[in-house]
Amino acid sequence: MSHGETFAATGFHRAARYLGYMEKQPTQFPDRAALVAHVKALSPGVTDDAVSETRGGRAAAEALLAAIDPTAYGHNRNYLDGAVTRLSPYIRHAIVSLNELRNQALEMGDVKAIEKFIQELGWRDFWQRIYTQNPDWLWHDIEPYKTGFVASDYADTLPQDIAAGETDSAAMNHFIQELKTSGYLHNHARMYLAAYIVHWRRVKWQAGARFFLGHLLDGDPASNNFSFQWVASTFANKPYFFNLENLQKFAGMQAPCDFHTNKCFGGSYDDLALTLFPHMAAL
Amino acid sequence: MTQLIWLHEDCLRATHRLFTETASADTAKPVFIWDDAYMSAMHYGLKRRVFIYESLCELPVDIYVGDTIETLRDLHSQWGVDEIVTGKTPNQALKAMMQNLRAEVKLSAIADAPFVQMDSPPDLRRFFKYWNKAKKKAFLYDGRP
Repeated sequence: MSHGETFAATGFHRAARYLGYMEKQPTQFPDRAALVAHVKALSPGVTDDAVSETRGGRAAAEALLAAIDPTAYGHNRNYLDGAVTRLSPYIRHAIVSLNELRNQALEMGDVKAIEKFIQELGWRDFWQRIYTQNPDWLWHDIEPYKTGFVASDYADTLPQDIAAGETDSAAMNHFIQELKTSGYLHNHARMYLAAYIVHWRRVKWQAGARFFLGHLLDGDPASNNFSFQWVASTFANKPYFFNLENLQKFAGMQAPCDFHTNKCFGGSYDDLALTLFPHMAAL
Repeated sequence: MTQLIWLHEDCLRATHRLFTETASADTAKPVFIWDDAYMSAMHYGLKRRVFIYESLCELPVDIYVGDTIETLRDLHSQWGVDEIVTGKTPNQALKAMMQNLRAEVKLSAIADAPFVQMDSPPDLRRFFKYWNKAKKKAFLYDGRP
């Protein structure tokens, strides 16, 4: 069939589509800027111009694979400067499989030393299994909130100051800017920011989950949304929250965590629970 | 038999079983469909799109732009493909596309190597219920005895 016949038979739009996908897209570019420009041209609806320094592809993943330290990870993974692998975007898109990562870890230390590392891989497997078994749970509350509030007490949309990284918390603003520019947040920073959105600002976890998915290179519907539900307490027995002491301990060297710019997190867990969850009897 | 390998965003690895278990390279044609509407529905911004495109540039795959179903349907027809083979995924949007295509063409979805191989389904009500069962295999090479 000639292009002319295609035009005649099915009209302009059909012909334009035909011509378009007969053309293979380039896979070699003079530099990264040219690749980014090409992707932008293929993404007419995208208004966000940020590009992460994290490179896609197996070569970049293998450089990170060569540097993993599962034993150190077991000791310091909760610190923002801990020995995390930064492999999550590659795992998300199966550029690296959980199986090969586990197999490599097994060759690097005794089972006890790498137990936490492998257990964390299990979380990814767990979320994927839940998504497979219960796809309807992805955007719906799995269970009621255990915060003393009901779902309708939470806002549907993300407040603009959170989206812009202009909240009253310097630490949260730091995390939001990092999320938006790098497409990555340490898992503990994700938990802090997710808890801030849901519990301090009383916003539905779905709004936070959409915000994260729009920026995270490793954003996975299952891992992201079910983790949000875990923080919110719609897939946990209690809400996850934190106080300033915890924030300073694990993030104090990487984010601005002083009291004066993070007052809302000050106090004991009991004090914060009374403020955040006034209708709850006790946690 | 001519197979068309449909590489989607949940299987961007050359050692995925999708590649290793399909026919010879002469007949298996790997393609990725750059579907702007799908990526927008997934909330993907420029960061993610660049990451995916860079990853594709290292793979033996041809990238075409268009609606995923329409493009695959037409490639299937034009190339005389007997079967579309793709990667298994829990992603509901991709599964819906697979279901749609199956109405017209033969399509198989191949699972990646599992993290753990369990004899019976684990209890997924809480992580530790799952983990108490999974950990018996999780510390074994390839997740099995």
